[in-house]
Formats: sequence, C-alpha cells, structure tokens
Amino acid sequence: MSETVAIANYIGLSAVIFFIGVAGVLTRRNPLIILMAIELMWNAANLALVAFAKSWLNNAGHIFVFLVVTVAAAEAAIGLAIVVIVFRNARNVDVDEAASLRG
Amino acid sequence: MMLYALWLLPLVGALVLWTFGPQLKGLGGWVATAFIAASFALTVALFGAASQPNPGSFDGVSAPLVTWIPGFSLGLMLDPLSLLWTLVITGIGGLIHLYAIGYMEGDRAVARFFAYMNFFVFAMLTLVLSDNFVGLLVGWGLVGLASYFLIGFWFFKPSAVAAARKAFVINVVGDVGLMFAVFVLFKATGSAGYWTVFEKAPTLPESIVLLACICIFIGCAAKSAQVPLHTWLPDAMEGPTPVSALIHAATMVTAGVYLVARCAPLWSHSADARELVGTIGAITAIAGALLGIVQWDIKRVLAYSTMSQIGYMIMGVGVGAYSGGVLQFFTHAFFKADLFLAAGLVIHALGDEQDIRNMGGLRTKTPFAFWTMLIGTMSICGIPLLAGFYSKDEVVYQTLERGHPWMYAVAALTAGITAFYMFRMFFIAFFGKNRAGAGAAHAHHGSLPAWVMQLPVGLLALGAIASGYVSIGGDQSPWFRFLAPDFPAADNVPIYAVPISDGLSTVLVLAIVLVGIGLAYWRYGTAAATADASARLAREAKSQPQILVRGYYVDDLIGALVVRPAQAAGGFFGRIVDPHVVDGAVRDLAWIAGVLGLFVRRLQNGLVRAYAIALVVGVAGFLAYYAFAGVTK
Amino acid sequence: MIAFWLLGIWLVLSAIFTVTARKPVYSVIGLLANFVALAMLYLTLNAEFLAVVQIVIYSGAILVLFLFVIALLSSGTAAFGIGPDKMPRAIGPALVLVVATLGLLVFGLSRAPMAISPGTSTSTTGPVGTAGVFGSVSDFGRALFTTHLLPFEVTAFILMVAVIGVILLAGDAAPQPTLGKHAPQRRRSDRAREPILK
Repeated sequence: MSETVAIANYIGLSAVIFFIGVAGVLTRRNPLIILMAIELMWNAANLALVAFAKSWLNNAGHIFVFLVVTVAAAEAAIGLAIVVIVFRNARNVDVDEAASLRG
Repeated sequence: MMLYALWLLPLVGALVLWTFGPQLKGLGGWVATAFIAASFALTVALFGAASQPNPGSFDGVSAPLVTWIPGFSLGLMLDPLSLLWTLVITGIGGLIHLYAIGYMEGDRAVARFFAYMNFFVFAMLTLVLSDNFVGLLVGWGLVGLASYFLIGFWFFKPSAVAAARKAFVINVVGDVGLMFAVFVLFKATGSAGYWTVFEKAPTLPESIVLLACICIFIGCAAKSAQVPLHTWLPDAMEGPTPVSALIHAATMVTAGVYLVARCAPLWSHSADARELVGTIGAITAIAGALLGIVQWDIKRVLAYSTMSQIGYMIMGVGVGAYSGGVLQFFTHAFFKADLFLAAGLVIHALGDEQDIRNMGGLRTKTPFAFWTMLIGTMSICGIPLLAGFYSKDEVVYQTLERGHPWMYAVAALTAGITAFYMFRMFFIAFFGKNRAGAGAAHAHHGSLPAWVMQLPVGLLALGAIASGYVSIGGDQSPWFRFLAPDFPAADNVPIYAVPISDGLSTVLVLAIVLVGIGLAYWRYGTAAATADASARLAREAKSQPQILVRGYYVDDLIGALVVRPAQAAGGFFGRIVDPHVVDGAVRDLAWIAGVLGLFVRRLQNGLVRAYAIALVVGVAGFLAYYAFAGVTK
Repeated sequence: MIAFWLLGIWLVLSAIFTVTARKPVYSVIGLLANFVALAMLYLTLNAEFLAVVQIVIYSGAILVLFLFVIALLSSGTAAFGIGPDKMPRAIGPALVLVVATLGLLVFGLSRAPMAISPGTSTSTTGPVGTAGVFGSVSDFGRALFTTHLLPFEVTAFILMVAVIGVILLAGDAAPQPTLGKHAPQRRRSDRAREPILK
C-alpha cells in the first residue's frame, strides 16, 4: 500500500510538522513547551530521513535517524537540566523572565 | 678633482663646526676661515685651466657629478664667469670670515655662526659652479636657506626672526619663478644643461625665450632685491655685520646678476626681455638711492645703496653690457664689503650703536675706520682712479650705446644721488663732535689683536681702489679678454652710434657726482653744519617726506594685498574649516556610529523569543534566495 | 494510502495540540500521541527497527524525563506561574512568518530539480520478518557496525558528554540559580553603573 504513496507527500508532511514546531518555539513562553516543540522539529527531520531512505533503499538514512535520536536525547537532557537550574526557585516559569542578557 | 674639493670643503667645514662646535670654542672661527681659504687656494690653482677655453664653446674645467636620466646629467664647471664669482665668494668670503672671528668674539653661539657661514659659502658655490639649471636651482634654494639662518641668527630678537621670515618668503616667490623658467626651458629644449639650452636658444620661438627670461628674472628680482621684491633687504640688516657684508652685499644678492649674465645667450635673443630687465634695474637704482637719503641707521644706508648698485648691475646686464655689469659686481663686492666691515668697526667701537645721529667725531676716535670708509665711499661714488669709477662709467655709457637714452639719464642722475646720500652718511657719522650721549655703551674689548679685524678691511679697501684697473684698455683690457669666451663681442645685441663720446659722458657723470658731494658737504660737512648737528639732524628727521620714509609704502601695499589676505585665509581655515569641517567629519562619523548603535541596541532585548524570530527570519531569507534564484551547482 | 492520510492527520492534530496546550502535562500527552503516530508511519515506510526505537527511546525515555522535570518545577497541582508578556504583539507576525517560511520551502522544493544521485541501495525489500530485508534489525545492525562504525562510537561519546554535563549542571555543586528568591538580587545601582552611549 505504501508503494503508491509518493515520497513528496511524506516530505510535505514532515515540513508541516517542522513548522508547527517552529511556531511553538516562537509563540510559547513556557520553556518546557518550547523544548517539546523542538522535539517535534527533530522528529519531522527524522520522518524526512526515513522517507528518503525508503525511496532510495539506502539504510544510511536509518543510521542517521538513530544518530538524530541520540543527539536529541542528549540535547533534551541538557536543556532540561538548564531549565531546572534557571527556574528552580523562580516564581514564574517564563522564558521572558530570563532576559538579563539584554544589551 | 680639485673642483670637487673646492666645492665640498666649505660643506665639510660646516659639518665639522656643527658637530664639534662646542669643543672647538675659540678655534671655531679659525677652522672655518681655514676651509674657505683652502677653497680660495684651489680656485687660484685652477685659474689658469679655467680661463683658457675657446670662445663660444666650453673647454674649461668640468667635474661631472651624476647622470640622472640618460642625456640629463648634473655636474660642476668652472668657466670664466663662474671662476670670477668663485674667486669673489671664496676670497672676499675668506676675508669676511677672518673679520668675523674678531667681530663675533664673545657671542654665545660662535660655532653655529661659522657653521652657517661655511654652509652659505657651500650653497653659493653650488649655485655658481653648476653646469645646469637644476643644480642652480638647488644652490638658489640653499642660499636662501642660509640667508634665513644667518639673518635670524640672533633668534631671541623678534625683529630678527621677522626679518628672516620675510626674506625667506620673498625669496620663495623668486624660487617659484625660477622653477617655472626651468620647466619652460626643459620642455622647449629637452635639457636643463646650460650649453644644450644655449645652443638651442636661437631656434626657439621668441615668445618662449621671453617667457623663460621673465620667469628667470622673477627669481633674480627676488634674490637681488629689485623692485618690487626688494623689501626684505633693508630688514635683513638685523643679521650680524659680517653677514650683511658677505651675503647681502657681495655674494648672495648678486646671484641674480650672475644668472642674467649666465643666460646671456637667452637674453641676446629677446629684446623685450632685455628692455624689462634694464627698466627694472634702472627703477631700482634710483628708487634705492632716493630711499638712502632718509635713513638714519648706518647699515640701512648701506642696504639701500646695495639695492641701488645692484640696480646698476642689472641695468648693465639687461641692456646687453654683460662684461660691464659683471665688472660692476666685481668692484662693488670690494667696496661694499669694505664699507660694511668698516661700519662694523665703528659699531663695535661705539658699543653696538648704529644710529648715525648718535655718532660724530669718529675721525679722531676710529681713524682706521675713517680712512677705509672714505675709500669705500669715494669708490662707490665713482671718483676717478678708484674702482667704482671704471665700472660705473662702463655701465652708464653702455646704456646709451645700446639705445636706451632714458636709462642713461636715470643712471647719471642716480650717480649724483648716490654721491649725496653716501657722503651725507659719511659726514654725519665721522665729522663734527661726538654726539654720543652720557648713556652710550662702551666699546667691545676683545682678546684678539686688532689686525684680525683690520686686515680684511684694509685689504678690501685696497681692492676698492685697484679692482677696476683690470678693465683699463676697453675691449682689449685683461677684463674683457678674460670674459670674452662667455660674452663674445659678436652677440645679438645691437650697438648704436651716440652723439656723446665716451670721454664726454665720463665728464658729465663726474660733474653730477661732484655736485652731489658738494651738496652733501654744504648740508652736513661744513663747520657751520656740524656745529649744532644734533639740532639740525633732529629737525631733518621731522621734516623728511613720508613717502620716502615709508619706502614708497611698498611694505604696506604687500601687507594689504598679500599678507592680510593670507592671514585671513589662514584664520578661516584654522577657525572654521578645521574645527567644523575636518574635525566635524570625524565627529559626525563617530556620531553616526553612536546613533546606529543606539538603534541596533534595541534588537538586543534579551528575550529568547525575539532571538528565535530573528533566527527564523534568517532561515526565511535563505529559503527565499534559493527559492527564487535556484540552487545552482 | 488511507493509512498515510489517517496517520498524517493524527500527526498534525497531535502536534498542534502539543504546541497549544495550556498545561505542560497535556503537552506531554499530545507529544506521546505524536510519537505513536510517527512510529506507525515508520512502519509504513518499512523501518521496523526505527519504529521500535522511536517508541522505546523517545516515548519511553525522553517523555518520562520531561514529566520528571515538570514534577520538579511545579508546585503541586497549580498551574505554572507566568509573568507579564513582554512581546504582546509578536504572536501574529510570528505565525505569519512561519507560514511564509513554510510556503517558501515548499515553493523552493517544487522548483528545485531533484537531480541528486540517490546512491546505491544497500538491501532489498521484502516481506516483514525475512532475514536481512530493508529496514530489518539485522540490516540496520550490519550497517551500524560496519559501514557506520565511527558515527556509532561518536554517539557513545555524545551521550557520555551529555551525562557529564547534566551532572555538572544539576548535580551536587549546582550553580547559583539566576531567578527566584535564592538568586542574587540585582540592585538598581547596578543598572546605574552600566555605561550607556550618550
């Protein structure tokens, strides 16, 4: 059944998910939600990779997805650690509050 | 070889004195004099070789220096004309150096003085020994520089500094003129060497020759203090008396005469140029003489007389009487140096007094100065048997012979005025009773024997008598034959038949001169005149015509036309352009940077979301580029 | 075909829910749904191993990590505190920007010639369960440990770095918090000492 679905559809879907993630990063103020939107973006990229791997029957795409998952995990861990430190005893968990690097 | 040494020895002397001056102490002057004397000896040694060349071509002593571009080389040469000048520069220069040892004794900066004097001699030698216009120009500029150094030698006197600056600036005007002349000649003939240019001179269009001559003459007018660039010379008397004698009487101011004489082949081809030069010379002669009548400073009288006498020289070489004009230079060098140095003896004896109203009775006080000054004064007036007589007579008659009767009239009249003001000075200063007040300073007492200062003056006085004798015999005299290679008799300048014979003219001029002396004696020299000299002189001082006292207002004119506009321009640039435009541009650039910074600063608000938006905007930009421009391999 | 469309809609809706949910816990649930849909999409693309990896690592580990942090930061069941909005008028333009960028990407992709050589295929397709078929565990494993050994080792390194980083950041000697009542207070005089361009 998947033979009849063109790769372009998967790529389009991947793009849509990616930009939903971007919208989330730009719009939300809770740092946790922002991190989750970033996870969405990672996954959109993974989808594109798997689609291309299938299209060309080249499992380098799969390997790369594996790598992406690893890096995304590492990034989520560290990002969450930073969020924890910054907002541990804050009254508001709001990214706008962490604006002390203003020029 | 000897020519190189001749040229460079004074420079070595200057360097030695500059470097080791403080160590040499009293010996500095002797060292300097020794270098000049060595140059003089070398000149004499080269005399024979340099004076033998064939007429019309150059065979004298030459010493090439450097070939700059192929076909364009600089070098030194010694032909009769430059040999003559070199003899005067080194010979009379040497005597003046010797004199200066005594005169400058006790000054705080003796070594610097002699270094400058030697440097001047070197510069002047560069000027006259060059075989091309470029070397001439170099020497021209260096001489102006040396003059600046020496006029402003006593730099703690503001008047001396101002005078030095004035001299330098006016000389620069002349330098520019001379430079243009060199450019014109180079463009027209493809060379800056004298002989190449002179060979090609007959083939050049008359307008080019005239232009070159005018530009050359601007230089000459500045350097030789001809009207209207003469105002620096009286002020240049601020320098020490040996300086006045050497530079502003015998040598530097005669550089203009040298140049016109050197470029005789050019002048022979342009009657208009000759007319210009002769006219300026005549005007200067009489203008200077008239101004000499109202001066009270002994050195200023001599300065104006220099201006006037150089007017004679210029007039002479201007009408085409090259040998005559150069003879006037030769005799003038002797008697003017004699006059200046004798005046220096007087000044020293009276403790730096220069105003003749405060002198008087010096006949008995300084007899040596009295006699030498008398000889010099008689020579300048043209008393027969003295040197000045021969040269003045020659120049004056030549103006008639070459077809300029009005110049003749001016020259003859000026001879009378010269006699009048020179003897006025002489009578006021030397006759009568001593008018120095109770507060007069005491004479300088040096540790050197009197002959150090008196020997040069004496020798110069002898020259003031005898230097004219070489020209006895008309065209066959040693003088004319010596200069014949440079000034062949068959040049382009026409000679006319004149109603007055040479002898009659001589008598006529002599009569005018005697009238002048008689007038001066009647006003200043008689017993009655000298009896109440102070009162008479004070009355005269009040009644002098303003136009003469103010120097025909030339200084004021230059001040209004040149100095004040220049100062205004300078003020404008200094007060408005510099702070507002130049500094303003820099300030405005900084202000722009600041404003941009203030604007850009608002982008850094520290908000994560804003930065994220900026990121996405960048990505959108990239995508837009690739979307519309396409991905190219 | 139908599977693709259904899964696609499920994916998009859950993504939108994740991004717009009020409470973070709801976002985590939405994200979980998203990952499940994604795993099923991988299955339609013959990437069985990756589908499992997706569930195990992403949903099983990373989302749990998120839940832990939410628990750490929240004070009970109350909603997270939120400060004043410092970019109130940014949401409209930001959404427009996102849509525009998406449009540009699609437009650019549609115009770009896809003349890229695909590279050699590494395995053949076949029914699920056949040994060594494209997307199977053995195929993936062979590629991972032979052709792409270096990246594999590097991932190990990355993970080690991440662990060390987390320990340093949030371990025993935790750095000073920058917000909240235990953070050093910035005084008004600090601001006065800042150099400001005139």
